[in-house]
Amino acid sequence: MREEASIVSDLSVLATGALVVAGLVVLGFRLAQLQLVDAEKYSYDSVRQPVRTVQTAGPRGRILARDGTMLADNRASVSIAVSPEGFQRPSWRETILAISNAVARVAETVGLPVGLSTNAIGRHVRQELARPLVVWRDVGDEAVARFSENEREFPGFECIETEERVYPQGRLAAHVLGYVGRAETASPAGARFSFRDREMKGREGIEAFYDSYLRGSPGELKVTVDARGFAVGEETVVEARRGPDLVLTLDVGVQRAVERQLRGECGACAVVDPRDGSVLALASAPGFDPNDFVPVLPQALYDRFRANPLKPLLNRASGGAYAPGSTFKPVTALAGLRAGWPAGRESECAGVFELGGMRLHCARRWGHGPIDLRHALKESCNVFFCSLGCDIGTNALIRAARDLGLGAKTGVDLGVDMAGAVPDGTWKMRMYNERWYPGDLAQMSIGQGMLLASPLQMACLAGAIGTGFLARPRLRASAPVERTPVPFAARDLDVVRDGMRMVVDGGTGRLAGTGVAVSVAGKTGTAEVGRGATRRKNTWFIAYAPAERPTVAVAMVVENGVSGGGTTAPKVNRVLKAVFGEREAGE
Amino acid sequence: MTAALRRFNWISFAAMLALVALGTAAIYSAGNAREAAVFHGMWKANLATAAAGLLVYFALAFLDYRRYLDLFAVPAYAGALVLLVAVLFAGSSTYGGRRWLFGFQPSEVSKLCVLGMLAWVYGSAGARSWLRRFPGLLAAGAIVGVPAALILLEPDLGTMLTLLPATLLVLFVARVWRRGLLVAGCAIGVAFAAVLGAVYEAEKPGATAERRERILRYVPLKDHQERRVRVFLFPDRDPNAAGYTLRQAMISIGSGGYAGKGFRRGETNRLKYLPQSISMNDFIFCVYAEESGFIGSVVLLMLFGTLLLPCVWTAYVATDGRGRLLALGVSTLVFAHVFINIAMSIGLVPITGLPLPFISAGRTFLVTVMACLGIVQSVSLYGREREK
Repeated sequence: MREEASIVSDLSVLATGALVVAGLVVLGFRLAQLQLVDAEKYSYDSVRQPVRTVQTAGPRGRILARDGTMLADNRASVSIAVSPEGFQRPSWRETILAISNAVARVAETVGLPVGLSTNAIGRHVRQELARPLVVWRDVGDEAVARFSENEREFPGFECIETEERVYPQGRLAAHVLGYVGRAETASPAGARFSFRDREMKGREGIEAFYDSYLRGSPGELKVTVDARGFAVGEETVVEARRGPDLVLTLDVGVQRAVERQLRGECGACAVVDPRDGSVLALASAPGFDPNDFVPVLPQALYDRFRANPLKPLLNRASGGAYAPGSTFKPVTALAGLRAGWPAGRESECAGVFELGGMRLHCARRWGHGPIDLRHALKESCNVFFCSLGCDIGTNALIRAARDLGLGAKTGVDLGVDMAGAVPDGTWKMRMYNERWYPGDLAQMSIGQGMLLASPLQMACLAGAIGTGFLARPRLRASAPVERTPVPFAARDLDVVRDGMRMVVDGGTGRLAGTGVAVSVAGKTGTAEVGRGATRRKNTWFIAYAPAERPTVAVAMVVENGVSGGGTTAPKVNRVLKAVFGEREAGE
Repeated sequence: MTAALRRFNWISFAAMLALVALGTAAIYSAGNAREAAVFHGMWKANLATAAAGLLVYFALAFLDYRRYLDLFAVPAYAGALVLLVAVLFAGSSTYGGRRWLFGFQPSEVSKLCVLGMLAWVYGSAGARSWLRRFPGLLAAGAIVGVPAALILLEPDLGTMLTLLPATLLVLFVARVWRRGLLVAGCAIGVAFAAVLGAVYEAEKPGATAERRERILRYVPLKDHQERRVRVFLFPDRDPNAAGYTLRQAMISIGSGGYAGKGFRRGETNRLKYLPQSISMNDFIFCVYAEESGFIGSVVLLMLFGTLLLPCVWTAYVATDGRGRLLALGVSTLVFAHVFINIAMSIGLVPITGLPLPFISAGRTFLVTVMACLGIVQSVSLYGREREK
């Protein structure tokens, strides 16, 4: 055979060898390109593709009253969750079915309702496969015990410790605290996460206003997933931290007293410390129990809230807008004094004030006779203040009202902060397309007409008259104190203070002062709203005490009352007794 | 016997054992990444198969190949044809091909039978002279064509493709109508280029669906083959569907880097991003390269070189025509597997279903390849002796 094989054949055999070498070299070069030159790029891909990041939520901060009473706390809550990776089947449909069957089995053994549809499981498998699926949230102790006994029989299921919001004081200060719902963790960097855990989110009140403060800082979890998306392992990158506690200025004792007075009524009350603006109590009636919103508000209850014409969820104390009625008269008085009205000048009250075709009656139908400013406050004389208002003019009156904080938001650290209204010519033109008549001025002088204010504004106003400083109300204890002197002469303020002192000492508001350990200054108000059949009275009382150096200012409004002096003054009286204590008999 | 032991090709033998060891390790990694417990012990099965293969290897190596070739070339070829027909009717299918008959793949064995037949027909001392001319080429076409057509019916295009270069080389060395052979070789090359070009034209960015349709009507490729060629041409397109496998293959190989991630530490394989159905077979190189890195890849390539170059040398020094053709054909066949398999994993050729010799977990194929190398060993032992 050797003789038959030519040189060419020999060479072609050797060429085969060369071909083998060449082929291996080509592969080697390509491999060098992949594994040496581009290795970094591929390493990045291989490291990145199995990683899912999860933003985890830390426990929510608590809310405390100024004395440390817990107003909003977290309680341990146990949920039962299932991890999908224990139920891998060749097809997604079978996987979902396997989970669904396992859930039904656990439900039967533990005695819980099957709360999860196959669709919900399917959605979780499609969207959040790498995370455990919470099947039963906030499970009771008994069910947890039964589950734990049989836990070995349920591979893939586990108890997860979470926290739920609880309001230990129940309905107390519900409108201030607000309530929580649930949302995904929120942070500016949140978008880069694959999944975000759900956590509590404040929906109303302090919970909403200080939501980002209470939420604390989110953590980060790195979950490794396989090609189908099932979790293989996880690693905490950043630990979630508990949100800080929030201490409020609220005084639980005062708040309780206020709410007791409002029980069964429809109304609101604000109690502030005029020296630094601390809100000691802020209540609105009717109220609600924020615990009903945990973990979610039942539909039936939601419907009841919506159907209730009294709107129990509305915070009337800072979000209500009421005509202040006669409680506005100290403002008119201050405006008059600033415009030069002599404190001692008497003016004749014949029981009715006539202007053009309009007739405004005094509470005392037969008139007060000749009366000066202090006594006009004491007796709440409409005629006096109408003529005083008309004498000084609209602008002076409006300026005084605004100087005392009306018509502007109080700046309280609460989402609900009604500015109310101090109407003037342009305002009336814009709202009603009508010009400003002298009658409007007369109405405004006695707090009627289109004037609107919230109880919180009126409490601040009372305090400003008492101290000479208008303080911004604040609910967070560590919020900065902001107070500005009111632009009225001390002499003028003293005149009005005298008048308001006389209101309680034998005037229209005498029921407010009886038995209180300190002297009280105040003003009654009875604002008429509506006409004809819907005509009713909102009865007011504003006060500050002690009259000499006020530490407390109160404003309370009761809808559908009889009169400020008869309905509201006794309630304020009991609030003040709770604050200052009762005067001992015989003192 | 001492003379035989002196001629025994120890280098190639050692390389083979080393490759079996590396393959077993890779199968261990790939198998244990899978859920089903069946695959966890696959590496043991591979070792057992290798042991059986070694018996076949020694038997074929120390027996005189001339004797068994003369005796069995024709019956083995006929038997292979029967099995290839049988598998079409009675075979069981896995991953879209009817390839299995009672746990083994006739197509793998048939490749050896075809090469044996070719060597016997064209290498025998008494070969007729018409075999060197055009009719000889026709005869070769028939010998290779019939089993190739049967394999294509399974379908198993990759296996068929490895036979092509081996056949061409064997015929060339056997000096069968070289002019025609060259033309045929060129024609095949042009045909491949034309198919590639046509798919490129049809799929290139900006081509309308209508134009694509019109071109592809004339391209003799099935849908999945056309898709593979498309992925080869545009690897970055569609990385989550058609291009997924290639992309994951490249990620696993590339992320192995310089020194690899370590035994059983390849995430792409462990987390099943590399499709599990192929990680133990056609794409096992990815598993190996991810764990052992560039160094491991080079070691593997050098082992294959150490395995095959002595075989080519055996063909070169063989004085017997049959031995020369056998050794050449067999080493070309094994090399074609090595080259195409690794090249498809790294995007140098379109993806084709093809195992990597010694590394992939295929029992029939492992025994076949070891038998091939046993025959080459026999050629190196007896190919230079006068026939007794």
